[in-house]
Amino acid sequence: MESRLKGSWRPRKGLLRPGALALAGCVMTLGANAGPVRTPVSKTRSAQAAKPAQSVPLKTYGSKSAPITFEVFTDYECPTCRTLYQQTLRPMISEYAAAGKVYVIHRDYPIARPDHKYSGQASRWANAAAEIGQFGKAEAALYDYQTSWEQDGSMEKYIAAALSRSDFERVRKRMSGCQSPGPGGLPGTFVPAPHPCSLDGYIQQDVELANQLPLKATPTFVISYKGRRITTATGYVSWPVLKQFFDNLLRQP
Amino acid sequence: MKSQTSAGRILLIIGRVVLAAIFIYAAYGKMKPQGSMGWSVGSVRVSLSMFAMEVDSYQLLPTWGVNLVAHALPPFELFLGLWLLSGIALRYSSVITTALLAVFFGLLIRAYAMGQQISCGCFGPGEQIGPKRLLIEGGFFALAVAVTIGAFLVHRRRSMPVSAPSAVETR
Repeated sequence: MESRLKGSWRPRKGLLRPGALALAGCVMTLGANAGPVRTPVSKTRSAQAAKPAQSVPLKTYGSKSAPITFEVFTDYECPTCRTLYQQTLRPMISEYAAAGKVYVIHRDYPIARPDHKYSGQASRWANAAAEIGQFGKAEAALYDYQTSWEQDGSMEKYIAAALSRSDFERVRKRMSGCQSPGPGGLPGTFVPAPHPCSLDGYIQQDVELANQLPLKATPTFVISYKGRRITTATGYVSWPVLKQFFDNLLRQP
Repeated sequence: MKSQTSAGRILLIIGRVVLAAIFIYAAYGKMKPQGSMGWSVGSVRVSLSMFAMEVDSYQLLPTWGVNLVAHALPPFELFLGLWLLSGIALRYSSVITTALLAVFFGLLIRAYAMGQQISCGCFGPGEQIGPKRLLIEGGFFALAVAVTIGAFLVHRRRSMPVSAPSAVETR
């Protein structure tokens, strides 16, 4: 399996510089004091333009009253995140989220790195789809065709194929004004997009939550049982092993 | 000469006690209840299945192998720690310890070289593999090698025939 050989993503500062230079001009024009890459969340233009933070997570599967909460932070261009989605999250959603055992919360963590230049834009599409209740289809399309759209950023056609025509039109309407590239994040930072859009507020909120962990790599997941945080882990885990953990957890009072 | 030997023996005792403490603590870290759970068979089972997730993240073993390692390793570490602490048949316990630490060290190097950003699972959840962790594990391995060498030297010295003093011989 190709994906089993690939490691999860970790930040490499050196690779951020070209993108950071472009962002520096944007931030400096606004009079922000922060550096070009490690821009504090509270001082970014996108923070001002963003929607108010949502109180209820938008990208979820299953019932909120499920005893186990599985909160996963991913980047749509990360290969390990794709493997985790296809081999672990998919059966988890169909078996355990559908049965009311697990509440899955997806969090965006788009990475500001040259080889992940479309992940912020992919997150915007996912959030736009989530606003109309079609997140599941959008997420599946983004991961299933990751190797195709990551070449040129053409994720729109895969989202279009996954949704009905009317739904896609509603999603596209929400994406108007959201030009590529999208925003990105690094541990402790939120890098605003050169052209922020209203959907960036969702991404920003997820990145802020990731920074509170703090997140060191993607995918990272947090497992809680009846409101108590049990563990935070990074990397791939297979469904049979995770299911066994859930089963043992569910036997606890 | 006699003081050198006793210093060596003291160092050997310190070394094996430190190794024993490492293994006992490692077993405890993997089996201790998570969150606010109390000690029970069920909570230990949860902890062991969480350790299984860490073993699985190395992406080396099939599910049955992951389960076998996750459920057998912590009790074995506890047993090895107690064996080292007792000092009984130290040559054998130190050889097994060295071999086990060599395997752990090798796995960590492999994971780090592959860029796997995963928890090492050494003393329970949440410890990321990085240069610091590699240095610590390398130190443990070096200590185990030193204890093994010491154990064999002490055994050889003990098994050497004791030559009687010449004064006694003449009488």
